Amino acid sequence: MELIWFAVFAVLLAGYFALEGFDLGVGLLLPVLGRTREARDRMVAAVAPYVLANEVWLVAVAGTMFGVYPLLEGEVLAGLYPLVVAMLLCWVLRDAGLWFRRRLDGRAWRGLWDAAIAFGSLGLSVGWGMTLYAAATGFEAPPVHPAGLMLGVVVTLLFALHGWTFLGWRTPGVFGVTRSGRALAATGLLAALPALGLLAGAMPFLLGHSAPPATLNVLSVMVLPVAPIMVGAQVWVWRTFRPGKDAVRLPSFF
Amino acid sequence: MDVLDLARTQFAVTGSLHFLFVVLTLGLAPLVAIMHTRWALSGKPPHESMTRFWGQIYVTNYAVGIVTGLVMEFQFGLAWSGLSHYAGDVFGAPLAMETLVAFFLESTFLGLWIFGWGRLPKWAHLACIWLVTLTAYASAFFVMVANSFLQNPAGAVVSDGRMRLTDFGALLTNKSLVFAFPHVIGAGLFTGGMVLVGASAYRLWRRAEETDFFARSLRTGVATAAVGIFLTMGFGYAQFAGVQEGKFGAHNPAAAVPLGFMIEFGQLLALVVLLVMLPMIGILPRARWTHPILIAMTPLPFVLAILGWMAREIGRQPWMIWERLTVADALSPGLTAGMVTASLIGFAGVLGLLAIVDYVLIARMIRRGPHALDLGAGSGDETRAPALSY
Repeated sequence: MELIWFAVFAVLLAGYFALEGFDLGVGLLLPVLGRTREARDRMVAAVAPYVLANEVWLVAVAGTMFGVYPLLEGEVLAGLYPLVVAMLLCWVLRDAGLWFRRRLDGRAWRGLWDAAIAFGSLGLSVGWGMTLYAAATGFEAPPVHPAGLMLGVVVTLLFALHGWTFLGWRTPGVFGVTRSGRALAATGLLAALPALGLLAGAMPFLLGHSAPPATLNVLSVMVLPVAPIMVGAQVWVWRTFRPGKDAVRLPSFF
Repeated sequence: MDVLDLARTQFAVTGSLHFLFVVLTLGLAPLVAIMHTRWALSGKPPHESMTRFWGQIYVTNYAVGIVTGLVMEFQFGLAWSGLSHYAGDVFGAPLAMETLVAFFLESTFLGLWIFGWGRLPKWAHLACIWLVTLTAYASAFFVMVANSFLQNPAGAVVSDGRMRLTDFGALLTNKSLVFAFPHVIGAGLFTGGMVLVGASAYRLWRRAEETDFFARSLRTGVATAAVGIFLTMGFGYAQFAGVQEGKFGAHNPAAAVPLGFMIEFGQLLALVVLLVMLPMIGILPRARWTHPILIAMTPLPFVLAILGWMAREIGRQPWMIWERLTVADALSPGLTAGMVTASLIGFAGVLGLLAIVDYVLIARMIRRGPHALDLGAGSGDETRAPALSY
């Protein structure tokens, strides 16, 4: 049972990196590739249908952590208090940028929320590198550590590459590249590598700190039957918004 | 303030902000789903217009609900790691269910509903908003299961200094839950109804051209508010049978006073809604003198909802888990006043500003009426002139 829940946890965390990775990547590229307002609208419209379905993977990670690794949850989050707070604020700003950017028309308004998306994506990407490094050292190193910052830069670059590939897949040619679904899967795996590396290293430790069988059983009975629905909903998103002749519709809600 | 007070303030601020948006989500979700159903059945432009207008207000409100919710979820680990240490094996189960099963699906289906406009087949698109509603209610249910466990730790025993889950069924039939959950749902419906009433009254008062649209919305709002306040009051009183002893005693005025205000004003509002607004439902859209009053009543359900949570949560003090774990013992070790002050300013500042911006945007949408809506725009039928009056 511990093994099943470790697998669930690993899939959720790696899935978050592979999926939310391209949302953040596109956010990072917004000031780079989105020189005109129209280009920025296209970039955001390309990721918009996926964002809500992608970011919840992290919510699920946190929920699983609370349910399956209750002793670690507080340790990890409280141990990295300033970093987690900063990342949460970045996440909030990124989301607010998406929801608000098209609600008013003014130049300044759009500029403000587009900047919030780019800044939030950057903060979150770098933050993830620092978090992974801190976790790999068993939270011994201080949250802000040169090696952590380096890893943050690596994660940021990986996300940007993944976001760029996504744009090439969903809007072929519009941003100078055309990419296949296979290439997107490859950069997704690449974006998830840092998280997968940490999970592999932490596996024995996590297995040893699982919640007792009674709790895991309740979680299994309640969650596992719903898992096919969760997978089905995600598949539905990918089928509905796959690239095609009018893949990106403008105006998009985000 | 010391670290404990700061951390409590932080949770109270983010929690209150979160619920202001959640309570309206719970009320608007089923209303928008019903409007969408009528549109799917009739295919008529007025029904489409109602779905898109109220739907856009619903999703705009939802945006801040999400981001405040994210901060809430992570705060358990950030500031209250003692809770997961002591009772994570029990408390974690409903919380994991909320995030994994309910919110995960809710967010996925909401994305499909918003961006699937004109893309998904008609009935599949309709199914999305009903699934969003269903999972939103499931989400509320599991959060209430978790909260009720704090109020009344049923279904668990203490062994080796930690709480252990013995009976999951007891978590779900907790006496602190069975009446509180419908009470919260009723409050949601009441709030959603009153927002429809207030916004429609404003449009009618300003002599908007869409008279029929807002007359219809106003009547829907009054009917929903009546059902909502009836449920809220009924299940509100029913809760007193299961309340912990001494929770609202004279020693705890910070809980007893909000409770008193909520009951007094709630009853007054119930009288107004059930004995005045409901009988007048047919003439309210034309009775212009009532419109300023109806507009002024819009914030009241939100105030009452916050008072209700203050009574429930402050009444639990000093316990995090009633008679098992104190709030002070649940605080994460190693937090400093400086850290929590900084995060409190950050969260309160950012979330507070976003809440204000969001309300301004919603007010602006109401002022503009059902024209040039973003929700469902670009779905291929924009060439058709929007139906203005019918």
